[in-house]
Amino acid sequence: MWYSGMQLLDTEVDFDSSVAQAVPGLADGHCQRCGQSALVQLPSGDYYCPHCINLGRVTSRTTLYRFPAPQLPSVEWPLTWKGQLTAQQTAVAAALVASLQAGRDHLLWAVTGAGKTEILFPAIATVLAAGGRVGVAAPRLDVVRELAPRLQVAFAHTAMAIRYGGAPWPQRTVALTVLTTHQLLRYHQAFDLLVIDENDAFPFAHDPALWHAVSAASRGPKLWLSATPPTRLRQAAQRGTMGLSILARRFHGHPLPVPRIRIQALHLPQRIAPQLIRQLQQILMTHQCLLFVPDIAWLAPLTQQLQTAITTAIAGVHAADAQRAEKVAAFRQGRLRLLVTTTILERGVTIPRCAVVVLGADSARFDAAALIQMAGRAGRSADSPDDPVWFYARHDTLALHQAIRTIRQLNAR
Amino acid sequence: MRCVLCRQLVQITWTLPVILGQRRLRVPQLCAACLRTFAPIVVATACPGCGRADSPTLCVDCQRWARQGALLHHRALFSYNAAMKAFIQQYKGLGDWRLHTAFQAQLVPPVSGVIVPLTSEPAHFIARGFDPVLGLFAHLSLHLWLQKTDTSTPQAQKNRAGRLATPQSFSVRSGVVFGRTRRVILVDDLYTTGRTLYHAAAALRMAGFRGEITSFSLIR
Ligand SMILES: [Zn+2]
Ligand SMILES: [Zn+2]
Ligand SMILES: [Zn+2]
Repeated sequence: MWYSGMQLLDTEVDFDSSVAQAVPGLADGHCQRCGQSALVQLPSGDYYCPHCINLGRVTSRTTLYRFPAPQLPSVEWPLTWKGQLTAQQTAVAAALVASLQAGRDHLLWAVTGAGKTEILFPAIATVLAAGGRVGVAAPRLDVVRELAPRLQVAFAHTAMAIRYGGAPWPQRTVALTVLTTHQLLRYHQAFDLLVIDENDAFPFAHDPALWHAVSAASRGPKLWLSATPPTRLRQAAQRGTMGLSILARRFHGHPLPVPRIRIQALHLPQRIAPQLIRQLQQILMTHQCLLFVPDIAWLAPLTQQLQTAITTAIAGVHAADAQRAEKVAAFRQGRLRLLVTTTILERGVTIPRCAVVVLGADSARFDAAALIQMAGRAGRSADSPDDPVWFYARHDTLALHQAIRTIRQLNAR
Repeated sequence: MRCVLCRQLVQITWTLPVILGQRRLRVPQLCAACLRTFAPIVVATACPGCGRADSPTLCVDCQRWARQGALLHHRALFSYNAAMKAFIQQYKGLGDWRLHTAFQAQLVPPVSGVIVPLTSEPAHFIARGFDPVLGLFAHLSLHLWLQKTDTSTPQAQKNRAGRLATPQSFSVRSGVVFGRTRRVILVDDLYTTGRTLYHAAAALRMAGFRGEITSFSLIR
């Protein structure tokens, strides 16, 4: 059954639900789908949960159908990936399998570009071979879209489903589900192994419903993957309640590019200083460039000014941009040379010879984790491990220094 | 105060008349960035009939209504752009009641009169748990003179011809006394073909209302 392990609203279930466990949508003042208690009363007197409303409204009249996820038949070793792990990757992969077999969670703290996905393969294969169900969750759709085809190639004979908002319902039983973190709210006791990729990414870190979703959707160990793990996970790893592996080197063995800070009173976004334009022109002679800005309102004025000042293909893109997929694809293919973007695109983008410039790096919207992630877009390919990274700020901030200190620490390991 | 759409903090501008209590403070429910995503209709260039944007002379639809009887003088605040469609989807589609205050600072009828909302049909109220029009205009004093009986297909699922052919489903509630009411302002969330508002006006006439009828909506 494709809906095995899912919890669906009565409005979503138009098929036989007799195998499901029916529970009230709201109980004891909590939403039974997302676990939150800040309910809102309607004029009719009923309550609803505003927190997970984008997945369809749960009210006091809603019934939630929880479908069991029975064990699947065991299969022969399902990994069809023919690549080779480095010695370091192999050691980490073995540590993951060891945690898995001990039934405990594991944190894989790895720099961006360390080849994290491949390291997961043995652990995923172990669970699939035993007839278990595996979920791989990533915070955003573009990361899911990048991850899914790689997993399907690595597990060519395994039935896989991709779940995101607006995706068509899968039509068959699957052992492997790649999904956005939000979609975890639609699962209950579904996964024998749940991988949470880049869990520090917006909006996960600050959303208690997603922490709830992770524990409610899984019934086995959880594998957290991050370049900048939240304190909560680091502490658990230090206490030993969770396994820990640190992978400080990129697969090409070069250190991470260390960002350079330039403190300058820039009048952004109204006027781009000539020296910033000169710097961008210089970068663009040898590199593509990701230009991160803290505010969506900066996009249009900055992109316009840059398009007049610099003769190359330039575009601005934000999360809700209707042409977002096209623009990101054009940048990946090199048809766009300079992409002005908000933080939303910071993860899951891998481009060789790509410089990173962060404007307004002192903005409160950029914490150290976000700055490290943005810097991590540079230097990912072996032939340009030292792509330039610049942080432009009006003031020094703690986050700027934390970010640079962490990168130096990782490089020193 | 947080923006009801994006939850960012909203700045309140304290003008002198407000501080002195000469004017009521209308607490903005939307932040400037969210408000900017909507497209206000410029009255000076709107259709003199239905109030649609960029139609300084009577639009074709209104000419058709005018041939069928008295033309309704309608005013709307915003056109139905992508941001407004997203708002309606979240509010009416998903049923997010928290959004009902979003436009209360803007939703003030341009003229004075007895405000009569176009209420939703009972089946829709039961499904949503609220009436979207009553919610949007909850900050005004409303007169629930009209009632609507259940119809088969919702307006939103009909094409233009289907909407225009919709039969009358409004009637004036029993016990309503028009008294010396000189003007009624019908209020609704969305003016699409005008069919619903013209039906509502006709229901008032049927019940013997002789005063002026105008109408006002969030969206045209
Ligand atoms: Zn909920
Ligand atoms: Zn807002
Ligand atoms: Zn008109």
